[in-house]
Amino acid sequence: MTNSDQGSIPIVLVVEDEPLLRLFAAQVVEDAGYEPVEAANAAEAIAILESRPDIRIVFTDIDMPGGLDGIKLAACIRDRWPPIKIIMTSGKPLPPRTVMPAETVFFAKPYRQDRVIASLHTLAA
Amino acid sequence: MLDTPEEQAFDDIVFIASRTCDTPIALISLLDHDRQWFKARVGLDVGETEIAQSMCQIDIDEADMLVIPDLTRDPRTATNPLVTGERAFGFYAGTPLVLRSGVVVGRLCVIDTEPRPEGLTPEQLTLLRALGRQVSDQLDLRRAAQISARLLDLQSALIEIGERIRASEEAVEMTAAAAAVVGRVLQVERASFGVVDPDVEIVDVEADWTAPGVASIAGRHRFADYGALRADLVAGEPLVIEDVATDHRTSANTAAMHALDIGALVNMPVRERGRTVAIFIVNAARPRTWTPDELLFLRSVADRLEAGVARLRAEQQQIVLNGEISHRLKNMLSMVQAIASQTLRAVSEREPVESFERRLVALSAAHDVLLQKSWKDADLQTVAEAVVETVGFGERVTLDGPSVPLGARAALSFSLVIHELMTNACKYGSLCMEGGHVELTWIIEGSGPTASLIVRWRERGGPPVVAPSRKGFGSKLIRLGLTGTGGTELRYEPDGFEADLRASVEHLAQA
Repeated sequence: MTNSDQGSIPIVLVVEDEPLLRLFAAQVVEDAGYEPVEAANAAEAIAILESRPDIRIVFTDIDMPGGLDGIKLAACIRDRWPPIKIIMTSGKPLPPRTVMPAETVFFAKPYRQDRVIASLHTLAA
Repeated sequence: MLDTPEEQAFDDIVFIASRTCDTPIALISLLDHDRQWFKARVGLDVGETEIAQSMCQIDIDEADMLVIPDLTRDPRTATNPLVTGERAFGFYAGTPLVLRSGVVVGRLCVIDTEPRPEGLTPEQLTLLRALGRQVSDQLDLRRAAQISARLLDLQSALIEIGERIRASEEAVEMTAAAAAVVGRVLQVERASFGVVDPDVEIVDVEADWTAPGVASIAGRHRFADYGALRADLVAGEPLVIEDVATDHRTSANTAAMHALDIGALVNMPVRERGRTVAIFIVNAARPRTWTPDELLFLRSVADRLEAGVARLRAEQQQIVLNGEISHRLKNMLSMVQAIASQTLRAVSEREPVESFERRLVALSAAHDVLLQKSWKDADLQTVAEAVVETVGFGERVTLDGPSVPLGARAALSFSLVIHELMTNACKYGSLCMEGGHVELTWIIEGSGPTASLIVRWRERGGPPVVAPSRKGFGSKLIRLGLTGTGGTELRYEPDGFEADLRASVEHLAQA
């Protein structure tokens, strides 16, 4: 379902409730050479994922208002769209017993852009 | 004293009484609800009788010498099996045993198998009274010894509970520990702690200690299902019931209590701002008295639990608050990063922009270490590891030194210094070449208030080093040193760059 058209620019879904940080994250994705798609919360993200099968990577904040946080979103993605790679970020340290879904990378906020970019390249490869 | 072993002091007294009054039988009879029990006896082969057969209980409330010259003719005793049966008691004289508290607990009595119309001589009566007082004194002494031993038990139990509460990091752990000690020392069937709802109608029993074989009452209970228990608890008074079958608050419906094998109970309220918020529950399977010392003990246990739980709650609130502050601070740092990144996009020289971001991230990493310690002391090594991790090349940096606590400010400035040293090593020093490495070691010189920390940064295996021609912000940061007041020595040696940073250990921990 993903990866359908090899050779085109990978698409990265950026999920972040804070507009300024979302803008910044989208810029990081662009600087990495990919195409960002933006969502302001997990519900929006799922709606986008349902309508766009070409998303390869989801770059999501963990702490978002509303019922679904980034960890639940990641679990949902693992369940419904297993091939999608996930990058999570948070201003809080990860809770001690957090179970990270498989093939998921975590960055504490504020993150180094070069590392996130490197990670995007690895996941998109 | 009931059902205690024989004791010489009491045996001696009954022997003297029988000789003094010239009777074959002498007894110390202690009166119980349904029986009389003989603490000491001569001339009789039974240890107790039903209370109905007791002559000692006749007129006991008058607390006076009772003499019945002919038991066969006295209406109170004529039909007593001890008189009509083969024992055929004929004469009785008994002096009351009155404790210092005024309570009459029984009699010292002498009994003959023949009636004695003349009774006892005045001298015999006087001596019997005196012996009775001796018995009472002996009983009082034993009681006092028992009470003080009991008090000692309760006191050491209270100390143990205090220690267990202090050592607990969870409220449930505290209440379970307290319940176990209370259950043991009061020798009850059950001890538990329950949280009470704001209307004092429901109790949720959390921790529950039970004697072996006794069922737990953990779970939710409605006070109304067990009787009229609420009023005392709402008023903040301890609910003390010695016998659920006779107590006016529970006697109307004892089935619920008996279903839980409760014969007697204490519910000690835990108060908060004038309101009962929890109760400490003690259940006994059989009716029993609760002494003032035991109630005082339970009051103290409840108070200690309240203080302990309040301490935990305050600590937890502090942790939550710290987490929230830190989260906001880091979000703010992220916003600063986002703004700077967007604002400086047009700048063609990327290096300063990247340095800025890295410094921001290093500061944030030190912040994380401090948060994990609730903004108390962070360990030097932990801070150094966090900063090295943000820069990378961790496998080429060796860290070695004793544990050194850093205060919040010292941890932040130390992290910035290490970050700059790391960055420089990556750009110009040993980390920019394959095989180059850094040794970061620290020692403490001296002791007490004059002790100083010396941090040594040694780069090896890098390219030839030269002192930089200009001093940028990075090298200024390094020169500020561990506490922002200098103490930094930089050397551009042929083997590699070296830095020594000095600061007072005391200053580091306080800053």
